[in-house]
Amino acid sequence: MVSNAGQLITQVLAGEVWPPLADRHGFRVNPDGHAFLLPGMGGVTLGVHCGDPATGYAGDHVEPGLSVRHRDPAANYALQYLSCIGNTVTVSSGPGAGAEGFVIGQHAYVLVDMAEPDMRQVTTGDQVTVLAVGQGLALAEHPDVVVKNCSPRLLAALAGGTRADGRLEVHVAARIPAEAIGAGSGMVSEYANTDLMGAYAGLGEDLSLGLEGLRVGDVVAMADQDHRFGRGYREGFMSIGVISTGSCQLFGHGPGPSTILSGPASAFRIIDDSDANIGVLAVPPGAAPAGAAPAGDAR
Amino acid sequence: MSAGGSLVSVNLAASIEQASVGDPYRIDADGAPYVPAGDGGIVLGVRVGDGVWQHIADHAAPGACLTHSDPAAAYALSAQACIGNLVTVRSGEAAGECGMVTGKRGEGGRVIVTFAQPVLGRLRPGDQVAVVGRGQGAADLAPGAVLRNIDPDLLSELPVETPGGKVSVGVRAVLPSRVVGNGIGRPTPMWDLDLQLTPASAGGFGAAGLRLGDLVAITDIDARFNAGYRRGWVSVGLVVHGGSPQPGHGPGVTVILSGPAGAFVLNADATDHCGLREETVLEAGRDN
Repeated sequence: MVSNAGQLITQVLAGEVWPPLADRHGFRVNPDGHAFLLPGMGGVTLGVHCGDPATGYAGDHVEPGLSVRHRDPAANYALQYLSCIGNTVTVSSGPGAGAEGFVIGQHAYVLVDMAEPDMRQVTTGDQVTVLAVGQGLALAEHPDVVVKNCSPRLLAALAGGTRADGRLEVHVAARIPAEAIGAGSGMVSEYANTDLMGAYAGLGEDLSLGLEGLRVGDVVAMADQDHRFGRGYREGFMSIGVISTGSCQLFGHGPGPSTILSGPASAFRIIDDSDANIGVLAVPPGAAPAGAAPAGDAR
Repeated sequence: MSAGGSLVSVNLAASIEQASVGDPYRIDADGAPYVPAGDGGIVLGVRVGDGVWQHIADHAAPGACLTHSDPAAAYALSAQACIGNLVTVRSGEAAGECGMVTGKRGEGGRVIVTFAQPVLGRLRPGDQVAVVGRGQGAADLAPGAVLRNIDPDLLSELPVETPGGKVSVGVRAVLPSRVVGNGIGRPTPMWDLDLQLTPASAGGFGAAGLRLGDLVAITDIDARFNAGYRRGWVSVGLVVHGGSPQPGHGPGVTVILSGPAGAFVLNADATDHCGLREETVLEAGRDN
């Protein structure tokens, strides 16, 4: 598959592991109107990695691994918009300095997965360095497909590619109906992600859209979604995303894909494949520092 | 679920908003930049009853938007102000004139107030107003059918009746949940639900004639608290602002009723539906 990956530039971006945030009232409201107070967003969420279930936790907006922001608002937007799935992230301060992970998506935080023993050394306030590369990626043979939030490393790791009929073959672990699209609709598609409803494991059958089996890191296909210039409903379009966040109790929210590809449905050939997960990008525990990483991508 | 007891009225202070933008351009669903006009503040010439795509505008509402300089007070304003509430201008050239709350909008916590056009022309951003907030906590209209964001006294002016323990509602269209965009997953007392409809797509949903002030029903949306997908439910709302070129946005609906589908009888009329009428709004302002 021909891409312009060789023309992309890499920027070195600083970030900080950001604390979980709350307000003085604490509780939020679940689909049935019941109050809950649960962890999930911000800080370092242990024990959840690519390939693990996205649902079934006693958590809300579970953000696997490190949740990263920048203190300066404009610098933070740059960090959120420019970080792409598969980018190498190195811990730059604290006892975990030198540990390496990779970006799995955005959720108003940049989310970073790394090996569990490394992750345990990291806490709120630790500095990280993101080698950001990917925005601007384009596929010469698929001019109708917009690529975003996708590093060249992820593109190379995705199963499929250009078919003889000219379509872009993409393997997905799940197909998402338009009814599942929740919070995130109407927002720019380089920031945060698209919460999916219908995955409230343990709650009512009338809430289910059959998405309780999603896993963190799954590549999914969203029907009738045009995410080329934001996130919106458009019949006949398709958007491909990577599940970067997990369980929600907050109604209208849920496991969320960060978008990587979007275009007319006719430009794609979707293959159902339970192995379609970005866990293949995982860095082994104790891997060498990222200094030698080519073009800023996770090796 | 009603809190029980009688409704409380509160005098809320607010100011007339100045429309504000950051970057001059927004990006439409096809990737083209445009300069948004009519998104908040005082918008002249947009009236209850106008078509939602009649004006070249982005989220244009019929009248003026209210806000409050303190973010927490702005959220309280949007949560407690309800459709049908009286608004009195307290400062500026239009002091003493009255209008009526006709909707609410999300994100910053904004309240939409409709005034007579000559009054609107004398308003200026920053003018102070008082809103008599009343409606939240109203009793269920029928078993299972919760009321939100509307002063129950206004219901008699809408095609809403309660024969036989059900809520019978006249609507412009019954829309599927998948067209709901921005606003999904947000608390409905403070956000509207944008309908992802365009002039090109609306006809397929029986909504080509959608107007400001119309009632619409949305299937499979439970909007009692946050808005989200629940099979077999219905939410009914008032169309409070016009269309938008932005993906994921469109005509806005402030939810007034939500419950199991069995609690409702929906009477859709794509051509002759009449929801909230401008005369009703203006008479309410004149009577005070």
